[in-house]
Amino acid sequence: MGDQRFGVETGGENVVGEAPAEEPEIFTEEATVHDDETELERTIGLAGGLAIGIGTMIGAGIFVFPGLAASIAGPAAALSFAIGGVVALLVALPTSELATAMPRSGGGYYFVSRGMGAGYGAIVGLGLWLGLVFASAFYLVGLGHYASAVLAEVGIDLGFDPVTGVALLLGVVLTALSIGGTENTAKLQNGVVGILLTVLTVFLTYGVLDALGVFGSQGTPGVFFSQGTFPVLTTAALVFTSYLGFAQVATVAGEIQEPGRNLPRAMIGSVLVVTVFYVVTIFVATSAFGAARLGQFGETAMVEVARNFLGLPGAVAILVAGLLATFSSANASILSASRAVYALSRDALLPRRASEVNLRFGTPHVALLAAGGPILVLVATGRVELLAEVASFLHLVMYGLICVALLVIRRRNPDWYTPSYRIPAYPFLPVLGAGASFGLVAFMQPASIVVGTGILVLSYLWYRYYASEVSLRGAI
Amino acid sequence: MPDRPSILVPVRVLDGESIPEGAPELLATAHVVLLGYHVVPDQTATGQAKMQFEDRANNRLDRFESGLEDAGATVERRLVFTHDGQKTIDRISDRGDILAVLVPNGTGPPADVLVAVRGTAGVGRIVDVVAGLFRSTDVAVTLYHVRETNETDDDITTFLDGVRARLTGLGMDPSAIDTRIDPEQKRLAAIATAAEEYDALVMGESDPSLTTFVFGMPANQIADRFLGPVLVVQREASQSESS
Repeated sequence: MGDQRFGVETGGENVVGEAPAEEPEIFTEEATVHDDETELERTIGLAGGLAIGIGTMIGAGIFVFPGLAASIAGPAAALSFAIGGVVALLVALPTSELATAMPRSGGGYYFVSRGMGAGYGAIVGLGLWLGLVFASAFYLVGLGHYASAVLAEVGIDLGFDPVTGVALLLGVVLTALSIGGTENTAKLQNGVVGILLTVLTVFLTYGVLDALGVFGSQGTPGVFFSQGTFPVLTTAALVFTSYLGFAQVATVAGEIQEPGRNLPRAMIGSVLVVTVFYVVTIFVATSAFGAARLGQFGETAMVEVARNFLGLPGAVAILVAGLLATFSSANASILSASRAVYALSRDALLPRRASEVNLRFGTPHVALLAAGGPILVLVATGRVELLAEVASFLHLVMYGLICVALLVIRRRNPDWYTPSYRIPAYPFLPVLGAGASFGLVAFMQPASIVVGTGILVLSYLWYRYYASEVSLRGAI
Repeated sequence: MPDRPSILVPVRVLDGESIPEGAPELLATAHVVLLGYHVVPDQTATGQAKMQFEDRANNRLDRFESGLEDAGATVERRLVFTHDGQKTIDRISDRGDILAVLVPNGTGPPADVLVAVRGTAGVGRIVDVVAGLFRSTDVAVTLYHVRETNETDDDITTFLDGVRARLTGLGMDPSAIDTRIDPEQKRLAAIATAAEEYDALVMGESDPSLTTFVFGMPANQIADRFLGPVLVVQREASQSESS
């Protein structure tokens, strides 16, 4: 990929007179170049991109959902995860194409606003911010379950259920660390993901061998569709929260090196990796216990699976892995939410002040608080399934619109649109991706759909009030 | 006559770093690539820092630029927001035309400059930098060599005479070139010690990565003990790419 010239022109003003910030002129493999010789360095390589994607996703699918999913869908929950993986892949491909054409921070929001204009952009952007807020809250509650399980394991009885309290506390700690911490969080994330994948590979390999009867005792597979086929789809909608991370790679697209090569690989690769891990995990977990019993263990079911295989050391390993995984998912989501706020503020869809950088720490304290504050409110509700589904709802709407944006831009075919990666099977693939994304929404609980739709409506009303004069669409 | 040597001057522009005193005089006949960079934490998008700090950074760079130009240099400037300052310096210094990188320590106007030379590899670029910067000035340079195992006096004399000849061939005044040879010892420590008697130091890049050299361990050895500016001469682009 050579240097890429870029031709999006933004314009207009919001209600307080702020205009969108200038668009860059050139993307190179190692930097984004604005005029007057200012550059933004690209510093995240392929490993870093994969770590963001996998690190965000793997916490939920393996360490929170297996028990819940198995209780609803039976052993066929493995199929639910496979469906989720296919939907994610159908969206990851179009997202990759758009990202190589517009490797800027903001991800899905950026593509939709440049492809379809500020109105859709506002819905997707505010939806992305709040979707990540819901996702973070969900991960934090999961983290709370693991922390509580640790307390239970060492025999500390607080006399009340500590899940929500612990989750709130960790939410405050995480937000404070993001604002005040200057240590190299990206390298830390890479290390955490490496450890997780190692632990899980060892554990799942053992589990698969055991389930296949290598160690003498056959597992208890049970009937695959023990709950019928419909719950497989509702479960797919529920556990789709486990697939939200690949788009987070696109929220830092402006910081990925050699974006034409690394963005598609990081997004598609992370989806493939986690899908395999999820499906194998459900297979192992339901083989070990049977779906009904697994469901009784709730959010920390995997700890019991590990204890069953490997005794106390296994349980401790999975407890630690669960803490790391849910923590890294929550952390990655808070940071992505802050990036979303920045992208909106850059485009004058939110006040410019929201992207202000703290002079002492160099961190975007307003944007981080705009993520951390609402997260705490949501954590306090403690409703894992609702949080997960609303997060998925808001992301699925964005994913659907990303596919539509690809169709729109390819039809208009503007000069500046020169992606270095082009999806196969156009236009069927994006049509299928959009259909699958919107379709999966239909299988959610009514409460989640109501909350999600409410957020979209409010987002649009905010746009009408605050930024109806702002234009963001790329020139034709 | 070679053109003005291109010298990269990286400045961490918003953290109080500036062009040290004496550096403009040192670089008076150079083409300076002035790199202002600002390192932002991972939590912050680089574009976010740009939105807030670009004007302030450019104001500072304006001052540095005119200071360098007043002393006689030509200046090309870059402002980069990055999560990784080393990567940024590496990228800019690897672009091919950069002959040397300045580690900006303070100094007075330079009168005596130490030039550490080791062997024929890479000495051509050192010669280009030294001649380009100092041939039309009153600066006296001292070619410095630390004896290595199996080297004879004749080897060293032949080598240093060759370097001197190339410098005079490029227009340096022969009387402005001195030589100094120290007995075999740890090379970097010896350079740091010897440099204390001089106003500035020119040396070749010896590690695969320039930045580990400038900011990593050997740099500490040099910079802790020698507080003047250090010009690190880059190896050929083709060489550094193959390494």
